[in-house]
Amino acid sequence: MMYLIIVGTIAQKNMSLFAVQEKYFSSFIIWYWYFPFPGLRLSMILMFFNLSGFFINKNLWKIKKSGIILMHLGVMMLLIGGGLTGVFSKEGSMMIEEGKSTNYIEDYNLSELAIVNISSQSYDEFTIFGQSMLKRDAKLESDNFNFTIEIENYMKNSEVVAREKSDNKNLKGMMKNLIIQEIAPSKEEHLNIPGVTFYIKNTNTESDGYYGVFLSQSVPQSIRINDKEYIIILRKERTYLPFSIELYDFKKIMHPGTNIAKSYSSEVYLNDNEISRTTLIQMNEPLRYKGYTLYQSSFIEGEINDISVLAVVKNYGRLFPYISSCIICLGLLIHLLTKLPILFIKERI
Amino acid sequence: MKAINIFIIFLLLIPNKFLKSEVFNSDEILVQENGRVKPFDTFARNNLLAILSKRSLKSSALPNSYSEKQMSASDWLFEISTKPYQAHNHRIFNIQNPELVRSMGLDWDDKHLFTAEEVLLGLQNKIEYINKIQNLDESQLSSFDELMLRLYRNFVLYQELKYSLSCLLPIIPINNNEIALLMDVENNTKVSYYNIISKIDRLRLPIQNMLDKESNNWDVTEQSLSQILMQMKEINQDKFAQKLKLIPPQEESKDDIWLSPWEIVEKSDIDNNQKRVINSLEKLINAKIKNDRDEELLAMSSYSQSVDPNYRNYFTFFKIQKEVWLNKTKIFIKSTMFYLLAFLLLSISWIVKPKFLKLTALIMLVFGSILHSYGIILRVIIMARPPVSTLYESIIFVNLISVIFALILEFKRRDGVGIFVGSVCGIVLHYVGFGYANDGDTLGMLVAVLNSNFWLATHVTTITTGYGASLFAGLLGHIYLVQAFMYPNDNKYLKTLSKNMLGATLFALFFTLFGTILGGIWADQSWGRFWGWDPKENGALLIVMWQIMLLHMRITGMAKPQGFAFGLILNNIVVVMAWFGVNLLSVGLHSYGFASGIARNLIIFTILELSIGVILYFLVIKNIKSRFT
Repeated sequence: MMYLIIVGTIAQKNMSLFAVQEKYFSSFIIWYWYFPFPGLRLSMILMFFNLSGFFINKNLWKIKKSGIILMHLGVMMLLIGGGLTGVFSKEGSMMIEEGKSTNYIEDYNLSELAIVNISSQSYDEFTIFGQSMLKRDAKLESDNFNFTIEIENYMKNSEVVAREKSDNKNLKGMMKNLIIQEIAPSKEEHLNIPGVTFYIKNTNTESDGYYGVFLSQSVPQSIRINDKEYIIILRKERTYLPFSIELYDFKKIMHPGTNIAKSYSSEVYLNDNEISRTTLIQMNEPLRYKGYTLYQSSFIEGEINDISVLAVVKNYGRLFPYISSCIICLGLLIHLLTKLPILFIKERI
Repeated sequence: MKAINIFIIFLLLIPNKFLKSEVFNSDEILVQENGRVKPFDTFARNNLLAILSKRSLKSSALPNSYSEKQMSASDWLFEISTKPYQAHNHRIFNIQNPELVRSMGLDWDDKHLFTAEEVLLGLQNKIEYINKIQNLDESQLSSFDELMLRLYRNFVLYQELKYSLSCLLPIIPINNNEIALLMDVENNTKVSYYNIISKIDRLRLPIQNMLDKESNNWDVTEQSLSQILMQMKEINQDKFAQKLKLIPPQEESKDDIWLSPWEIVEKSDIDNNQKRVINSLEKLINAKIKNDRDEELLAMSSYSQSVDPNYRNYFTFFKIQKEVWLNKTKIFIKSTMFYLLAFLLLSISWIVKPKFLKLTALIMLVFGSILHSYGIILRVIIMARPPVSTLYESIIFVNLISVIFALILEFKRRDGVGIFVGSVCGIVLHYVGFGYANDGDTLGMLVAVLNSNFWLATHVTTITTGYGASLFAGLLGHIYLVQAFMYPNDNKYLKTLSKNMLGATLFALFFTLFGTILGGIWADQSWGRFWGWDPKENGALLIVMWQIMLLHMRITGMAKPQGFAFGLILNNIVVVMAWFGVNLLSVGLHSYGFASGIARNLIIFTILELSIGVILYFLVIKNIKSRFT
């Protein structure tokens, strides 16, 4: 386990934190070529069972050893809490421009392909395919539209370059002039620009062909099939919240006469059908509501309006670390106090 | 009880004129720099440190004509800024690269210190090259280019400091009765640029008249007026020099941004308080030029009364005066000397065995630690934040903690082990700290994430206490192995030492664990995650796990006392890696204090500790085996 932590820590120099977590810390088994090595998650589970074995010991249940019992109990609870957090917690970021309102969070890493039917005047019809479905040769179909999307390639990080010669694929949209090609993932996760190339088939119109989209494209890809019009967007995977947040004002205070920020804060309006109120979210002072916690994490300075970036977390195991660490520390303290007189006896030589 | 008596005597001995008076010294003038209002002395030291890499000018940097051996940073800054148009022969540019020196056409010598004039000539030769490399990306620069750019920036900084007061200097002569009357000054005196600007309204009409006429029709008054204007135009070229933020903000203004004299001159609305500050500064400058001590005192008392009301209180006076005192006394160097003394006395007491030597050593250690903690307390008061928030502060704090643990041990054991551990920790860690202090201002402001006194006070203080306790336990491990090797038959001694080791490890474990958990709670409160696999977090976790492992091995008997001691020595390596090593990765939240020389030192430390540990361990094992066979 210590080995894993050391390797994982050093690996952070070259890989993004997310990738390191996926490879070392949240994994069950790491494959070194063909040799399996237990991942941290497996080690933790083993440790949990090992610890439960500890309580079978008969000599243990004495008042003198209450400190030790508490400590080990605390460690077990910490492991449970860690497990719950690892499996169930949800996190993402929320970007709000001043004066605008948002009701969803975007995942940090995963992206999704959205096909939007904008033919209707009154509403837009969204069809979403998550990242797990965007695999090579996957066929995406839905009741909402009568054509097939066949993924050619999904790229974790991509760049757009000019197309020099046309190949025999039936090029459509911006792909006529451009190529989306895969590049090595960046160390900073948020700098990655995922891209996806795909064929649209079975429309029986001119729109059949080879398309490509990438993350936060300025002009979205649109296609027209008979009388219906669709746009296709690749975006960060969204999770909708049961409430919405409107940003009134974003403030940045600097240490006088320097470029070092003293604090950031966002004045927001929390809009829910039941309760609506105005609050201030700032560094070290998040907003907690309905199990979600919203933190001031970053900002983008705009020409007219600033954009505030909030980190949003929903964590079911949130209380476990608190309780278990209290127990561990209490146990250790008890143990320390009962043992101290023995360990530091005045013995003059 | 003896200890308490010593403490009281010492308190009386501290040269603590609690507060001299509510009048500032000239080196205590308030300056805002890097987001904090600080004394002139600190400002001067920081800037001199940037240029010369020293905090004061030693004789090698001073002109030959200068009679004294040393010059303080604030004296130097006053000297160059009150006489900016003279040539200064302080050799303050420290260029350690012979290639750079030769490329600028200067002569390389072993002092590698140069005057501003020499550097100016040298830079003029290379100005095209500098312009070229200035626009390059940092990654494209060679180390030579970097040094060149640094020298260039230092020179610009020097120029900025030098001309920062030029608008307040009385250098414009008034030789005309009429103008003197208009300006309300005596004829044949010299006035400052600011002085004329503030009375420019009275001169507006004559200037207008002058401009309406051809220059050959000007009368005497108009000719002298034009001369004045010409001179002002020349001085006006210095207005880039805005480094020295001496003037407090307007009383009603909400933002807390101080202004430099040149910025004030450019502004039209100056409130009365600011005017008073400028006037007393002008008086001070006059006194400095004339080298008149009495006049300087007068100017300073008027300054102290006119300084911004927000700063005109007992607490500011106390803080500022203490900061200058701290700068001057170099309290941590003094405390190192005490530790060194304690170590020497203890060593002597091993050879000849009079008891009082050991007692004196103990007293020296106590003195050292009191000075040490006094220094830390003053820093806390000055910055109004908990003791540890930068890498440098963590070093001096960890140092104090380990010395305190050592003192506790000494009072329990009374056999010199505590003095030994304490003085060794004190000397080594102070030495490491001085290396960091030379990197720059040790009292800087913090970025927003860290700006939470509550968490800094709890999490950071606990975890650094844990580091201190761990290092202390590690040193005990060394001692145990040495003792076990030298006197393997002294069983009682070894047994108590082994218990002490166990106790120290428990302490260390408690503090590192508690500190790490507090860090998790801070992270959960502020970022929504208890654990983020940040390198520093992992480092702390490694320390905790290593210590838990050692304790379990000791309890189950897998490790004998000597093995435990060996493990504690290795624990030192783990602690130092978590403390300094993770900064090398330069990723994550905790990567403050990155320094390039650190990698080499870390490797040396690791190899040293490892070899000491391994050698001692195997020697002891061999000893034990040979005794049983």
